Amino acid sequence: MRDCAQFRELLEAYALGTLDSEERSALEAHLATDCPDCSKAVEEARWLVSQLAYAAPEAAPSDILKGRLMQTVRAEAQSQAKPHVMPVKSAIPLWLWAGVAALLVFSIYSAWNARRLENEIRQANERAAVLAAEGQKIEAQLADAKRAATIMMDPTSHKIALWGEHAHPETLEAKWHSQLGVCIMGDKVPMPGANHVLQLWFIPKKEGAKPMPSAMVRPDPSGKLMLYVSAPPETMDDTKAIAITEEPAGGSGWPTTPILWSGNVS
Amino acid sequence: MLLAAFTSSGPREVSPDATLLSRLLKKDVSAFEQLYDRHARLVYGLVLRILQQASTSEEVVQDVFLQLWRSADRYDSSRGPFVPWLCTMARNRALDHLRLKSERQRRREDMPDELPFAVVAPEYEKALDEKRRAERVRALLASLAPQQKKAIELAYFEGLSHSEIAATLKEPLGTVKSWIRNGLLRLKERLQATT
Repeated sequence: MRDCAQFRELLEAYALGTLDSEERSALEAHLATDCPDCSKAVEEARWLVSQLAYAAPEAAPSDILKGRLMQTVRAEAQSQAKPHVMPVKSAIPLWLWAGVAALLVFSIYSAWNARRLENEIRQANERAAVLAAEGQKIEAQLADAKRAATIMMDPTSHKIALWGEHAHPETLEAKWHSQLGVCIMGDKVPMPGANHVLQLWFIPKKEGAKPMPSAMVRPDPSGKLMLYVSAPPETMDDTKAIAITEEPAGGSGWPTTPILWSGNVS
Repeated sequence: MLLAAFTSSGPREVSPDATLLSRLLKKDVSAFEQLYDRHARLVYGLVLRILQQASTSEEVVQDVFLQLWRSADRYDSSRGPFVPWLCTMARNRALDHLRLKSERQRRREDMPDELPFAVVAPEYEKALDEKRRAERVRALLASLAPQQKKAIELAYFEGLSHSEIAATLKEPLGTVKSWIRNGLLRLKERLQATT
């Protein structure tokens, strides 16, 4: 077991770092006992060893080293000197900001919603207009049907038999009401060709007058046909006959096919 | 801590280093530059003596001074003067590089910590300025027998242990221990003699 005097002999070597591990461990264990004299002595030994630095020949480092070092130090000093950016405390309380944010969100939503509703309304209006048009069309068809029925039922209506030409045995019945117009009805009417319609013609009494084109119709799938003309081009007295031909869809200004049905008005 | 530098030895003149260090704690760049100008040659000379290579030595010196800049508060002036502390830190750093370079596998505990222990200077330390101190130390080493001088240099500048020095110099271990200790004690006497 070494005493302080023996440990003192190791202090310079300890400060120098040359002690082998066994001696170093023993000395450090002793120093750990807080021996005040040895603790002070080891610090003095360190100072003594540090004096050996003067044994090294002085040498000047390059100016580049100093420049690099000072650049780093200045940069770090500036970054540390920058006032810590504290969030600016707003005069407006946080809850108000939250309210503004909520209002903004609500406004955006409202604008979006208004546009959406506007679109929906416009689409609904368009649908309503279509429905209204369809309704008007249906009403018109219904009115025509009523008028046609009236014409057909009214005893004052003038009956016109339409005889089939070219092996069309079906007979169509036409009635002309002096005020309501002409109505033609038929059953089991042969279907015209694709993209073709049955077109009604009014043949004037006047010598050399051209047939007057009138309404067009296609029978329904069962062959039923109803054709109504509210305003014939000529009066009943000025009309010699009526006739039906098959014409391309859209009708023609002059008969392009042979007469399928015809009947004298007078 | 720095206050102790002004009062630890009773009324005496405040060292320029103590003043500069107090400013350094406030991140005074000018104080850092003055400390660098005062001690860079000593530190660089020491590191260059250990590493023998200018570029690596400058890297180590840069590390040392940057650590001083960043960790000046870790220097406790009440426990010793500044320059020995700085030199001890520089030596430790340089020896670390040397060990890496030579791939020696000595344990880290063999040497003082990176941030050096306190070094308490005796009273006579204050009587010597840097130039005179350097002269005394060099004169003392020059007066030693070549093998004794070499043993001390191997210990201090190359970080070798007693055993490694003995093997290098092919001298008995006891002789090496005696050379080193006697040389350091003579250095101490030489420095004391200056008073």
